[in-house]
Amino acid sequence: MRTFLSIAAIAALALTTPAFAAGKGPAAGKTVKAGVIADVTGGAGVYGTPQKNAYELANDDIKSGLIDAGGANLSFEVQDAASDGNQVATLMQKFTTDGSAVVLGPTLSGEAKKADPIAVKANFPVLGTSTTADGITSLGSCVYRVSLSEAQVIPTTIKKTLKSWKYKTAAIIYGDDNAFTKTNGDIFKEQLDKAGVQIVDTETFHQKDVDFQAQLTKINDKKPDLIVIGALAPEGVKIIAQARKLGYTGHLMGGNGLNSPTIYNDAGPGAAGTAVGAAWFIGANYTGNKAFVERYKKRFGGDPDQFAAQAYAGAQVIAAVVKNGATTPAEICSGLKALPLAKTVLGPIGFDGNRDVKSAPVILQIVKGGFAYFK
Amino acid sequence: MLLQQLVNGLVVGSVYALFAVGYTLVFGVLDILNLAHAAIFMIAAFATYALVAAGVPLWLAFLGGCLLAGLVGIALDRVAFAPLRRRNAGTLIPLISSIGVSIIIGAIARGIWGIDERHFPNALGDAPPIHLGAITVTTVELVTFGAALALMLGLSYVLRATALGRNIRAVAEDRVAAVLLGVDLEKTIAMTFFIASALGGAAGILTGLHYNSVTVDMGAGIELKGLAVIILGGMGSITGAVVGGFILGAVETLSVAYISSNWRDAIAFGVMFLILVLRPRGLFGKRALRAA
Repeated sequence: MRTFLSIAAIAALALTTPAFAAGKGPAAGKTVKAGVIADVTGGAGVYGTPQKNAYELANDDIKSGLIDAGGANLSFEVQDAASDGNQVATLMQKFTTDGSAVVLGPTLSGEAKKADPIAVKANFPVLGTSTTADGITSLGSCVYRVSLSEAQVIPTTIKKTLKSWKYKTAAIIYGDDNAFTKTNGDIFKEQLDKAGVQIVDTETFHQKDVDFQAQLTKINDKKPDLIVIGALAPEGVKIIAQARKLGYTGHLMGGNGLNSPTIYNDAGPGAAGTAVGAAWFIGANYTGNKAFVERYKKRFGGDPDQFAAQAYAGAQVIAAVVKNGATTPAEICSGLKALPLAKTVLGPIGFDGNRDVKSAPVILQIVKGGFAYFK
Repeated sequence: MLLQQLVNGLVVGSVYALFAVGYTLVFGVLDILNLAHAAIFMIAAFATYALVAAGVPLWLAFLGGCLLAGLVGIALDRVAFAPLRRRNAGTLIPLISSIGVSIIIGAIARGIWGIDERHFPNALGDAPPIHLGAITVTTVELVTFGAALALMLGLSYVLRATALGRNIRAVAEDRVAAVLLGVDLEKTIAMTFFIASALGGAAGILTGLHYNSVTVDMGAGIELKGLAVIILGGMGSITGAVVGGFILGAVETLSVAYISSNWRDAIAFGVMFLILVLRPRGLFGKRALRAA
């Protein structure tokens, strides 16, 4: 009886940890530390916290074998940059000299522009998971990102929404003091121009603003068919709510920054229908995505957002590279270059010649209590 | 569009004014800048949010938030200012001390509530907006504007027509003479802090309700603006703070409407600079409080 039980236990163990059992690669048994720079506190804490959560989950999943790192002892050490550019630089310095093999992060594009050159100088690989502004990967020959850039997402968003909404005029409101939202605004403008849509007004705001009524009153006066929002979620929520409050009834559209549960939870019923061009859909059927969402919810008590999903995908990419035998900074750099498609929660992803991620954007639409594919 | 923009400016300006009134009251009485005023603005909004989330009716939660802000103000004076006052520490050291308290309050709030944005459940914002011709206003905007105005009028009454108000004005005029005439200095200062902080707290609660957003760093945006408003109005002048608040709100809104949102802050601060060049002591002189 006892023998039977132990056989059953071993079998059960084998069944619950199939990847680990199957994942003895060339790096098996080796310890690989990946440094993560995330803004867990401070102004960008709303983005850095889900990232930190995702890496904690990834650390567990590597141990349990759900993420296959080829038997290597891979772990992600998250350090809080506190939304402080100088601290980001200090942490980058630390990770490039403390035996880490790769750095994931930092959270914001502006921070990456400041800190990535430190890694580039040290021939150290960096994998951005939430940097979407122009000119990030061109900082160095080993700066990669799993985050789809705005330049990759926005053209598809406009193409798809234009087909269905047939708008002729648009107004743009974007944050002009943040690399991400500025890029957002610039690319929307360029692509709308290209599509022959007349831009009737362009307004700007600053990060942390809460009152957008002056800008929106001006926009509303010109009655555009569409308002394009180049914002991150906290400002985006208020822009949507205040536009509707002022009586705007046209279409609303945004980029990656609006792909957050905050948008459908807090922007009010007027948010329904808003189109969001994004890199990830919480309901996507990709391998492991549903399980990731479920486990994240169970552990952290809320839906993961795109920041969490992309961070988790970053961990999956590094695990895939380590599985192939890369354990040093130089090996990870060439491993990323040679990586065929990796299976992640964002879908199968690889990198193009510019080290930007190759994956398809998803165009979503806010429905009651969540997102759905844009129709 | 002009009417709607003026309404936008009035609502924003009323909150600036309410915040600045408390700021300037402490300055008028003690000649110190209390840079923890913005932290009290935030803590009151959080306290009210927590009470509403626990099922307390909004009006009661509002009073609770103001009361807490007032008490934090008294504690702030006891911890950060009173010991320095006893040592005649001047005006710069209390300034640093208030920055320290502000950081501590921020850290405590972050510890309790985290960094996520909070939203009032079933806030006033759910009521449909009211359309009056070309103007759209929401219930929460009316409440914000009305409450800010009522509180400022209330303060004016207290300062003009009550024994406490007379004591506060006496201390502002001449601390030593006030004590010689029998005014309880420490009690009057404590009450000044209570009133100033409760008003700053009310501004925080109204801001939280108006935008349905409460965050640990919500005071950061208004801190500098409040300071600019009280300098514009004339340091220590209650009337100046009120007028300055409305001017800033109107200039901000109108510069977006008729010039460009890119230039909003530059224009707002440029206008204030011009006024100060013409009237270096601000719109309402330096010691208007004493004549209030």
